[in-house]
Amino acid sequence: MNSKLYLAENVLNERHTVTYRSLSRSLKVHANRAKQILYEFHRTENAKRPHSVHATYVISGVQKPTAPPATNGHTKDEDEVMQSSPYLPSSMPNQEAASDVVSIASILLVREEDLEDAKATFESVKTIHVYSVQAAPLQDLNTLTTVCRELALTSTQDDPLECGSQWGMIQNRDVKRRSGTRPPPAAKAATTAKPESTVPAKRSLATKESAVRQENKPDESQPTSDSQSSVKSSSKSAAPQKGKSNLFSSFAKTKPPKPKHADSQATHSGADDVVPDDASEDDAEELFPESGDKAPSTNRETKKEREEKLKKMMEEEDADDEEMADADEEPQREPTPEEQPPPPPPSKAAELKEEVTVHGGRRRGRRQVMKKKTVKDEEGYLVTREEATWESFSEDEPAPPKKKPAVNVAKAKGKPTGQGNIMSFFGKK
Amino acid sequence: MTATEDYGYLRPPSDEKYDAVYRQPSSYNPLHTFTLPMGSDRHYQQQYGDMYFLRLAKLKPAVEKIATDAWGELTIAGESARRVDRVLDVRQGELCWMAGTVYMDMPLKPNILEDLTKETFTSAPPPRRTYTDPSNPSATQIMVEDESGRIRLTGNLLLSTQLATGVIIAALGTETVDGEFEVIDIKVPDLAPQPERWARGRLLPAESKEAGQEKSGKSGKIAFISGLGITGSSSDTLALELLSDYLLGYTGIDDSADPSRITRLIIAGNSLGASVTADAAATTADNAVKKKLAPKKYGYDASAYNSSPITQLDNFLAELLPSIPVTLMAGESDPANFSLPQQGIHRAMFPRSRAYCAPPSTGDNKQEVGWFDSVSNPWEGDVEGWRLWGCSGQNVDDVLRYLDFPSDDVDPVVDRDDSEARLRIMEAMLRWRCGVPTAPDTICRSLIMQRGRRNFLLITIPIGSYPFQTIDPFILESSPHIFFTGNQPVFKTTVIEAEGPFRLDGDMEMKDSDADTLNSRVRILSIPRFKDTGELILVDTETLEVEVIRFGAFAGQEEKK
Repeated sequence: MNSKLYLAENVLNERHTVTYRSLSRSLKVHANRAKQILYEFHRTENAKRPHSVHATYVISGVQKPTAPPATNGHTKDEDEVMQSSPYLPSSMPNQEAASDVVSIASILLVREEDLEDAKATFESVKTIHVYSVQAAPLQDLNTLTTVCRELALTSTQDDPLECGSQWGMIQNRDVKRRSGTRPPPAAKAATTAKPESTVPAKRSLATKESAVRQENKPDESQPTSDSQSSVKSSSKSAAPQKGKSNLFSSFAKTKPPKPKHADSQATHSGADDVVPDDASEDDAEELFPESGDKAPSTNRETKKEREEKLKKMMEEEDADDEEMADADEEPQREPTPEEQPPPPPPSKAAELKEEVTVHGGRRRGRRQVMKKKTVKDEEGYLVTREEATWESFSEDEPAPPKKKPAVNVAKAKGKPTGQGNIMSFFGKK
Repeated sequence: MTATEDYGYLRPPSDEKYDAVYRQPSSYNPLHTFTLPMGSDRHYQQQYGDMYFLRLAKLKPAVEKIATDAWGELTIAGESARRVDRVLDVRQGELCWMAGTVYMDMPLKPNILEDLTKETFTSAPPPRRTYTDPSNPSATQIMVEDESGRIRLTGNLLLSTQLATGVIIAALGTETVDGEFEVIDIKVPDLAPQPERWARGRLLPAESKEAGQEKSGKSGKIAFISGLGITGSSSDTLALELLSDYLLGYTGIDDSADPSRITRLIIAGNSLGASVTADAAATTADNAVKKKLAPKKYGYDASAYNSSPITQLDNFLAELLPSIPVTLMAGESDPANFSLPQQGIHRAMFPRSRAYCAPPSTGDNKQEVGWFDSVSNPWEGDVEGWRLWGCSGQNVDDVLRYLDFPSDDVDPVVDRDDSEARLRIMEAMLRWRCGVPTAPDTICRSLIMQRGRRNFLLITIPIGSYPFQTIDPFILESSPHIFFTGNQPVFKTTVIEAEGPFRLDGDMEMKDSDADTLNSRVRILSIPRFKDTGELILVDTETLEVEVIRFGAFAGQEEKK
């Protein structure tokens, strides 16, 4: 069955978190049905292997008045509301109106482990349904929001006015939307991390009409997610990717998309590379130490090595020639891609081809981007020399420890060159 | 799962067909009371005095009528109360009453001249929660002024009556030997006449009339929310996701809180928590980095500007809008102008949601009402025929600073439970017939001081409000049916009624009979910050009954660890 396959692949193999809404969107089923599918999946999988799948639930209903402390004691001082009105000494009209008890319904998200505890706090439970399933218990429920945001980004090409009924959204007959100004599809993806994870798998499993859709509007689907297009047709998307890698690398923290790792990305855990930008990134990395990327790690390592080689070469170069004229650089840099035969066995022909383009893109990216990157990573260095900003470009955010020495080398080498510059200047005179 | 009930969802998928659910139509007719002239037509050179003059001219007849009714035949110790037209005409020792504007001189009230002289604070002043000086209560002076002059009020009554600058009152009393006015009684304009429901006409969209027959007699709901406080980090949006799931109908509750009955969502300000993130970023680790970022950058600087909050808000709205119309009010922390009335957040901030906005007005055509309406703060308008008047909370926050509460000895940093006071202030505003009495005197100015110093904004002239010349929009010319204030600490609601002379007959009958048309009844809502409480407020469109839906995550074993 389609849904079982989808869930097995996403939850068990790729260890993604699947919410009922993401399931509903990718399989184009009603949200209520998606809830049932998740429940069924959770039940059957745990019957096969206990604790292989964990779920979160949503409980709605009326909580008991002695609710958790977060409730601010509404019930407590409800009847004191209008005790006296010092503003208007003569007016005390509405004692009885003030004491009307307002009904408070609660909608709570609960972990599987806490479900019984949570139910105990309810006076009456209206509904319980599965919110999400995932392979490991969630330490932090907030990680679910990344799934939701990802959903919002990936599903921009689905017009909610058309697809809403499929998902079970409440329809509205009176919606007024201006034609012409179609919302730009996920242009904002540049600011947040690229939703690389769920898209490929979804698309590959997705129904045919989605493929048709994408063919109909290629201009929309391509900028939306390049990892998706890389799965579908690598050759077709080569050109935009080249352009994109440049563009993306120029943004400070985002990882440039690595199309050649389409397969590895798919196995990569969704949680730790889709964590949105800033401070939360480190935490998320620590939270998911085990949601491992065994498969991509090898690929990544080799890539890091290559990068390092390239970097060292560049370092040596700028240690050597002090002028660093642009004209000199061009020919020297030229051979680098050829000098670096990719150490890992090239699994696909397409992979190799794209590598070259990416290298080209990266090289160019270096020169353009360097200024920003330098500011971020080595501030001390910036102070000493401003013109050599290009040399310290770090491509990936989660840098392996190997990278550190390389950076230090850069520093160590950079400083002497700066002084050497002056010395040679005086020497020449 | 040990549960035996399946609640419809905890069971294997069935082939059940789900009918499409349609949302009830929304009738919406905003008033543009607070919309300022555009661009070059907006001037700030005018004097604010005109606003007080207008306010007094407008409200004096109302308060005088009430005072005449109350004190017309009043005699105390053989002396009948005489009405005095001008404040300066008060004679010593004579029982009389007069009407005027309250002005409160308070020791800690921000003062523009002081601001200018103290341009260089060595350290920023702490945020002021109150303008009163608890250690020196006598430093607070309450005066009544009109066009002719000012007279200072004294008397024990003032201790129990709480007033704020800008309120129009009538005061009964005598002038003492010190030239002060000893107050015996105070009257305020009381509730303004209330329009009937559908007073401005029923305008339902054309399509919904056809759909009208399947309304099935169920009343709709208006949803209120405020203080979403979106920061763009992953920590704030779980409740938000549950909220949007609920509003879109994915998390169904089948009883009265059925989300398909919600016809409109009103967001009462502070949708962004941007300043929080900015502060946090400034105070924490970034400090060191920022110093070294000395080379100036021009244009877009990703390190100084975080677009994530507004992007998330846009995504949130864009998700809701296909299903539910949204009215978005600006608030204190939102990207809008700072002085009241705040104008709506510009649609350019919402690249995805703006498709649902009304098209830009062309020429003199009357502006069409958008499905997504980014409106001013304060805002008034008709929803489902009811008149709504709301503010994002600045009005109440500022009036609260005028009031001296006995519990004031608590540590000012700790939020005391002032929710009742807030509700009473809201009631008082209605009775004062002035939604933002302290504009343009102090409202926002203190806020500007707090924020300005912190964020190093260059503010030359703090402006409390736009200097209106011909109208004072903050006057409540008619009482709304729902008077709401956003960004309050906790949810509170009450219903108030005008005190007519015939109310003495008994409350209950008045309420049940058709006296509703005679007596104004106002539902007051103090809407809590969603970020803190996770609460959404639903108001029934027929009965104006209120419900609360609370969203959140259950703090289970993981959190307790």
